[in-house]
Amino acid sequence: MTTIQAPVTPRELLVFEGARQIGADERIIAGTGLPLLAALLAQRTTAPGLKLIIESGVVFPEVVPTPISVVDPRIMHSPSRLGSLLEVLGGFVQRGLVTTGFLGGAQIDARANLNSSWIRRGAEWVRLPGSGGANDIGSHCAKVVVLTTHEKRRFPQHCDYVTTPGFLDGPGGRERAGLGPLSVRVITDLCVFSGDETTGELELTALMPGVEVEDVLENTGFRPRIAAHPRAVTEPEEPELRLLREELDPRAKYFPERRTP
Amino acid sequence: MRQLLGGKVRTAAAAIAEFAWHGATIGMGGQNINRCPMALTHELIRQGIGGLTVLGCNLSLPLDQLAAAGLVTRTEQGSGNLERYGVLFTWRRAVERGEITVRDYSHLAMASRFLAATLGLPFLPVRSLLGTDLGRDLQRSGDVSATTDPWTGQPVLLVRACAPDLALVHASLADADGNVIIEGVSSHEVDMVTASKAAIVSAEKVLPSGAFAEHPEQVTISGAHVDAVVEQPFGAYPTSVYRHYDFDEPAIERYQSLARSGIGLAAYLRDSVTTHPDFTAELAGLRTRCAELEASMLELT
Repeated sequence: MTTIQAPVTPRELLVFEGARQIGADERIIAGTGLPLLAALLAQRTTAPGLKLIIESGVVFPEVVPTPISVVDPRIMHSPSRLGSLLEVLGGFVQRGLVTTGFLGGAQIDARANLNSSWIRRGAEWVRLPGSGGANDIGSHCAKVVVLTTHEKRRFPQHCDYVTTPGFLDGPGGRERAGLGPLSVRVITDLCVFSGDETTGELELTALMPGVEVEDVLENTGFRPRIAAHPRAVTEPEEPELRLLREELDPRAKYFPERRTP
Repeated sequence: MRQLLGGKVRTAAAAIAEFAWHGATIGMGGQNINRCPMALTHELIRQGIGGLTVLGCNLSLPLDQLAAAGLVTRTEQGSGNLERYGVLFTWRRAVERGEITVRDYSHLAMASRFLAATLGLPFLPVRSLLGTDLGRDLQRSGDVSATTDPWTGQPVLLVRACAPDLALVHASLADADGNVIIEGVSSHEVDMVTASKAAIVSAEKVLPSGAFAEHPEQVTISGAHVDAVVEQPFGAYPTSVYRHYDFDEPAIERYQSLARSGIGLAAYLRDSVTTHPDFTAELAGLRTRCAELEASMLELT
């Protein structure tokens, strides 16, 4: 296991920047992995009033390290209630009681639509797991945060298949479909993209340390808007790094790069 | 007519023989690595009951093993994966080859379909799926219908009621009348069982009739909706049962590595399922491991 002195890794920085997207007193729905760690970090630092909700039916848990599934006993620890999927995705998410959802996907396009269903490889279609609760979260949460590694194939102009709505076909797309307005943050190991209803597309708004705009463009399958002055993402202070490494994921379940062989 | 009281206790073999048949639609319990009805689905494999349509929200290990045994022709689901441990590889291969037909929903859309059937309704509206390829494909296949809220004019999609022929669920506790207690989250299972035409519930322990009489409010699913109960300790192994035992990560990883390549899966099913007379015999060599998983859960709860 690496010591606290080791420099922050790019994937750890994803988690820290993810945590910074969360405001005080938010209700967050997240799966496991980096999104859950980001939510827990925020809860332990800048957003103590944050309440977590998990699609399997867990309402407001106090998570113990380190759940690997939405039904892991470690994520069912000390909750307000252990209920059902219908209660969470219907009674909280569709009902509008969750402010921010964390999502992933194999592809995210220029309009922030997500694909977790089918990928085209030449003439073949490759099957992915499907929506799960993602479509419900992207349809009904006012803010969506995506944490992902930055690869060109993950960022096409258009998704091969739209599982989860971002801005659909652009400004007004969600309203025409019958969905409420959305704001999006996509955090990668290279940059942060942001988007809202006014442009209906992703804009490069921040760069990870040591990364240039050209690096982002080379690794992105669409030409993103670029903010006039992209912000520099800051590294965490030692107490936050210690919190992540020693308390939230002490066995580096989600950071293989930190495990000693 | 359902039998309302008593006499619902069966072995897994007898319950599956009585209530499952070739071509049935199966409502699948469990989610990811938790409370999957492994003892009941292994019995489907032992009896070779095929042509199945499997319905659920997250379909997990039981579906992949049924697909590996060649027993599945269609699935309707929210997702087919084991999260961190990957997609359901056998299911994926069969879907890509056209051997299994799929209908893709979101979790909430599937849960709403079960709720509709539970309430005796033909359909329910959802505001998920709108504007996406997911919703478009389901409209094209005639599985959902687009309409508007008659009062506000807002778009909604109508999803059809889903009433499986047979629900299979593994629970913490049951009594001989089929009353069921689920500890931990219940995922989609309550609405799925109450929606189904028949239900078999296996449980870690089955108590005599009247065992829950002092606290009937703790019953998760009434025996009114359950046709057979099966006592099967570790009946969800290698997945977990909250307050009873943790999931067996190395066993799940071993299965996934076989499923990924597809090589050795037939031998796996033979050696770990069909060669044994029942689920208890399957677990005979795993007593030490099971004790470790109990200890791990005890620490967490």
